[in-house]
Amino acid sequence: MPSDFRRILLEAIIIFALGAILGLSANFRLVSNLLEGKTIAGPPVAAPGAESPEVYPNPVDLADFQELRQRGAVVVDARIVELYAEGHVPEARSLPLDEIDERLPAFRRVVPSTATILAYCSGYGCPDSFDLAVRLLKEGFQDVRVFEGGFPEWRDAGLPVAEGGP
Amino acid sequence: MRALRLVFYHGPRLLLAGTFLYAGWIKAADPVGFARQVANYQLLPYAANYFVAAALPFVELLSGGLLLINRKVRPATLVLIGLNGIFMMALATVVFRGLEIDCGCFDPSGTSHTSAWEALLRDAGLMVLAVLVWIQRGRQTGTPGDFSRN
Repeated sequence: MPSDFRRILLEAIIIFALGAILGLSANFRLVSNLLEGKTIAGPPVAAPGAESPEVYPNPVDLADFQELRQRGAVVVDARIVELYAEGHVPEARSLPLDEIDERLPAFRRVVPSTATILAYCSGYGCPDSFDLAVRLLKEGFQDVRVFEGGFPEWRDAGLPVAEGGP
Repeated sequence: MRALRLVFYHGPRLLLAGTFLYAGWIKAADPVGFARQVANYQLLPYAANYFVAAALPFVELLSGGLLLINRKVRPATLVLIGLNGIFMMALATVVFRGLEIDCGCFDPSGTSHTSAWEALLRDAGLMVLAVLVWIQRGRQTGTPGDFSRN
């Protein structure tokens, strides 16, 4: 390798590393929350006059989802009732995003705000579980996470599927 | 000569700088939204999507900024060629796996949909610009060994 190209390559690596360090530093709160397994906080600098910074749910993978579920986490299915009836994660509660206003009071009565809640929907590209989790966090639930692989990943892993309406 | 230089060096350099500054800026403003877009590719473990979303926009901003001010042009271009190559490979896997996702190239909120094919074509165009900048910058520095300003 010619020495000039080697020098350019080295400088390119330095630029990449500097950019990455800058990015991780600017998003320090997001990164540290992620490392500690907490919910992911929103933009580090809240707009002046904003009530409170937006809080986002932490994602969980299938292994964490299973472990948390076995430890008693409340699983909520954000899909429409028809899809829930066709097949859902056993013991998951149906909490469709478009019916959240009507169902929230009943949900509150049975699920304490300190419970770990795991939301899922139809997998990657489906925003309902994320939106539902954001809403639940805003409603005062403290530990809400999103299983982004959703029902397709659960089903495709050969795990048990329950059928029937809520 | 000046006109040629404008067309084949400064034009592509400024276009490339503007594109990556814009892309980096809007992704840096919404790292969580961008992380969800990266997660849609289903290539990385969950937490890694967030680390990429936190770091990558600033790499784009820094490289784009260096191109804009015409300093360390070849190293910055090399970074963008590398990133663009990775984006293209990721998009190719999306096409290959038949995933229906937004590329997340510019808009982390996903409100404007760009298919993987469209994004691949756009990235190919950016790659042409980057290679042009790389070659032209090499010519400007004169003798093969003269990379003093890169």
